[in-house]
Amino acid sequence: MTEQMVNIEIDGKTVKARKGEMIMQAADREGVYIPRFCYHEKLSVAANCRMCLIEAEKAPKPLPACATPVMEGMKIFTRSKKAIAAQRATMEFLLINHPLDCPICDQGGECELQDLAMGYGRGIARFSERKRVIKDENIGPLISTFMTRCIYCTRCVRFGMEIAGIQELGDTGRGEHSRIGTYIGRSVDHELSGNVIDICPVGALNSRPFKMHGRGWEMTRHETVSPHDCVGSNLYGHVLRGKLMRTVPRPNEAVNETWIADRDRFSYAGIYSTDRLERPMLKQNSGWHEVDWETALAAAAKVLRSVNGDAGVLASPGSTTEELYLLQKLARGLGIHSIDTRPRQADFRDDEFEPLFPWLGHSIEDLERLDTAFIIGSNLRKEVPLLAHRIRKASLHGAAVMFLNPRRYEFLFPLTAYLSADAYTLPAELAAIVKAAAKAARKPLPAHLKDFVQAQAPQAEHEKIAAHLLQGKCAGILLGHLALSHPAYADLRMLAAALADVAGAKLGYISEGANSSGAWLAGAVPHRIAGGRKAALKGLDARAMFTEARKAYVLMGVEPELDCWDGTAALGALQKASVVAITPFVTDTMKRYAAVLLPACSFGETSGTHVNAEGRWQSFTGMAKPVGEARPGWKILRVLGNLCELEGFAFVSSEEVRAELKQALAEIAPDNQFKGTRNIYAEPPVKGFKRVAEVPLYSVDMLARRSAPLQATHDADAAWVRLSPVDARKLGITDNAQVAVQHAGARITLPVKLDDSVQSGNVFLPAGIAATAGFAPLYASVELERA
Amino acid sequence: MNTVRSWIRSLLLVELFQGLGLTGKLFFARKVTLRYPEEKTPKSPRYRGLHAQRRYANGEERCIACKLCEAVCPALAITIDSEQREDGTRRTTRYDIDLFKCIYCGFCEEACPVDAIVETSITEFHFEKRGEQIMTKEKLLTIGDKYEAQIAAERAADAPYR
Amino acid sequence: MTETSSKISLLSKNARQVIDEAVKKYPEGRQRSAIFDALREVQHENKGYLTVELMDAVADYLKLEPIKVYEAATFYSMFETRPVGRHSISVCTNISCMLRGADDIVAYIEKKLGIKTGESTPDGRCYLKREEECLAACAGGPMMMVDHKYYENLTPEMLDRILEGLK
Repeated sequence: MTEQMVNIEIDGKTVKARKGEMIMQAADREGVYIPRFCYHEKLSVAANCRMCLIEAEKAPKPLPACATPVMEGMKIFTRSKKAIAAQRATMEFLLINHPLDCPICDQGGECELQDLAMGYGRGIARFSERKRVIKDENIGPLISTFMTRCIYCTRCVRFGMEIAGIQELGDTGRGEHSRIGTYIGRSVDHELSGNVIDICPVGALNSRPFKMHGRGWEMTRHETVSPHDCVGSNLYGHVLRGKLMRTVPRPNEAVNETWIADRDRFSYAGIYSTDRLERPMLKQNSGWHEVDWETALAAAAKVLRSVNGDAGVLASPGSTTEELYLLQKLARGLGIHSIDTRPRQADFRDDEFEPLFPWLGHSIEDLERLDTAFIIGSNLRKEVPLLAHRIRKASLHGAAVMFLNPRRYEFLFPLTAYLSADAYTLPAELAAIVKAAAKAARKPLPAHLKDFVQAQAPQAEHEKIAAHLLQGKCAGILLGHLALSHPAYADLRMLAAALADVAGAKLGYISEGANSSGAWLAGAVPHRIAGGRKAALKGLDARAMFTEARKAYVLMGVEPELDCWDGTAALGALQKASVVAITPFVTDTMKRYAAVLLPACSFGETSGTHVNAEGRWQSFTGMAKPVGEARPGWKILRVLGNLCELEGFAFVSSEEVRAELKQALAEIAPDNQFKGTRNIYAEPPVKGFKRVAEVPLYSVDMLARRSAPLQATHDADAAWVRLSPVDARKLGITDNAQVAVQHAGARITLPVKLDDSVQSGNVFLPAGIAATAGFAPLYASVELERA
Repeated sequence: MNTVRSWIRSLLLVELFQGLGLTGKLFFARKVTLRYPEEKTPKSPRYRGLHAQRRYANGEERCIACKLCEAVCPALAITIDSEQREDGTRRTTRYDIDLFKCIYCGFCEEACPVDAIVETSITEFHFEKRGEQIMTKEKLLTIGDKYEAQIAAERAADAPYR
Repeated sequence: MTETSSKISLLSKNARQVIDEAVKKYPEGRQRSAIFDALREVQHENKGYLTVELMDAVADYLKLEPIKVYEAATFYSMFETRPVGRHSISVCTNISCMLRGADDIVAYIEKKLGIKTGESTPDGRCYLKREEECLAACAGGPMMMVDHKYYENLTPEMLDRILEGLK
């Protein structure tokens, strides 16, 4: 790359700058700080705050550094008398309408305006007229507003337009009457909207859950990693006297840039929910009693040792790698081989051909450089918001982004193709694309797929997707969460792999939970042992361990009625078995089936490592004081190992656990080449209505489900039956009417949302929420009737 | 030579008479000692004694939980928890001063933007049990209510010099 | 898809035609530029003011976020976002007119109509705008605009005549 460079002089220092870049960028690189409010490196240049006025030689007036491109020989003075005078004058204007309420403002102490006012503000205001006051709108449960403090930098407005992709906040009115807001007082709902809190340079936009609860200076800052999705967003946790007060983004260009999703930002509130299990509990004489750790652990060890390996172990894919490694070590040490971390997966037919771990296929950063992306079965925005952001960037750069989904989802970027089909026919649709691609590329189809693929008749849309994939020089095919929980996931994956082969694209997985990759590498899946090696004795998978009931179960961080593909089967099996639950939270359902409850540390309270979808190991330390007597999961498992008299449980820190696992891992080379060969048979059509389950954004795991602010958002309002208007008309069901959904004797009643994105014959009924807990498998035939 | 001089001084009791002279002088001089607690020394309005929290005339507590006193306290004697009260204002839910840690420097008073935390000129207080030295928000407000007239008078007297 | 998708039906056939024409004037994907033509027409058809529903309808029709339409409608003094009187009276109070006594003119109108700036007469006849920027008729100051028509070198007698002429 030969970039044209120009020589400029900043404050007497000669530096090189890229042609066309702004003075601000050159100065930032050189470490010369120019005060600014509206400029943000990730947003477009607005140049409306005027704080960055600097003096340039031969320019008659001060120039805004953020909007003035560098030129050869330019001499810039950022601290000259003229520059300082201009900056001070700007500051005086900015402060005209800014209230002097720093002591009650949450931004106080971490406020850009406050900091710069210290340097550029006058001690005494010359403005004695009335300040303008703005009435605040309620823009939702996450962001609190105090718009009188706004200085109209419009960073939040630009964030909406440029990063989120939908403008929710705007600048209405003119002159002194202008104000930032939604104008009609609606809520700001985008899944990344919390970032406006960070980019707001003043206290106009603040975190509502944190509002008035603490000060920036009194909290200690700890590096951590988000426990919710496969991006593993880097976070800072702010801790006050042992309590996690808030989480904010930790910039990391390779992972989350400077953004985090609202789920990462506000889920911490769940840590201190009333559901928290504070002391070990034991079911004795059919009642629950709080006991000390020794008693509880002894009871748990007794359960585990008494079943001769006839047990199932299910852990959340959001557990730390260390916990999962110890869990599988404990289980396998006791002869328990049925261990899994894929509760929402249904189809395990191709376990033996699986890659080393469900790799994204690209680095997260590379996703935005794809020129073709084909995403199968994913509501990406609501599954992994930050991956959607990367794909959005790719799309805005001109990449062809295409989807194959069971219904139309809203994406805030240009889509090249969108194929929406009955959820149960997704494999056939995908096969049609494979056929079209093979035909266009004049490549033979793999023998094992021939029958199924040849039976399909590609339409124009299939051919379009195939053509784009073949054209792409850097193409990616991604399997999303809806594909993962599909009853024919193995077929979908095999077809996707075949398509990737034909088209020369890379296959990737958008894995569930924060640490699916870590779980696979640690051996917390039935077909792999630690280090990703094939297990000699393959145990039962997450689905089979409940359909083939075991004598005992160990649950770690999961609520099977909400997290499992078939919650009914799980509950049934659990109720007949002895269950040891290692869990931060306890529910009444859990108390019905469990025998021993061991309080584990939640997010922020334990040290550990998450491996994200791109295979990046990110370790973090515990930062907050555990609630009650909760202990880190790895310590609980370590002691259980000792009590079960197993070898190799003498760890004193989670780092030692990680070191042992790392030893078991040879050089990892992630590879998604899929070598499975298996015939696909068309599934017999399911009769009646077919349920399809999405997991709402804020119901993915125990912690998010308990975060009050997240549960108050529109995204969490998910207890609806989504039905196609065509079907509704046939059944005589109107919008908002109550409808009873039945499956195998279970019946729930929920209101209906008519949704023309839903295919006729499909019924979208979310999973992971209380209203549908333990109702039916994620995909199942259901009966509908007016309630 | 020195030995001789020392002998003479001892024999003539020179030092004794010098001492008696001082005693005699002070015997007739104006007395400076006070009979505490019946008598007390005058105090400056800036005297820094027991802490109090003040209220506005309408009964509303002044403190807005800005936590500046907590931040400035060199002895880390102040602990504050805050939240948004139902009416939307920023208030403390806990405001503790540990008087064993406090060094009565008065920084909290200086830092306070609303003159909520003040140090009164009260010096006569004691604790009988462990834990009593923690001045809670309720205790501080009670002291403030009780001595508001005095506190206000002291602030007024000092105002011209600030 | 969104709850507002049905609001397009609020637009008249004529309004849609006007908007379609306006969209054609701009390059593809720049339909945001047609907001002004759209709002002008919609306001005209709705007794001289806009409602949130109508602005939403325009936004839906142009496939824009509603806030973009609100921004434009609230920024320009030509658009009204609440019910106003039939005749819109705007007196220039910028510097040239001000020096020539615009403030007295405003005061006279206020007294005559019995309303303050920003208000409409109770009978719905006249609406006195709160602010109007320079209307580029400085040579004839003080001046005002009534329903897009300029009246210059105003005197109280002229005002009486003009205002009484409004039906």
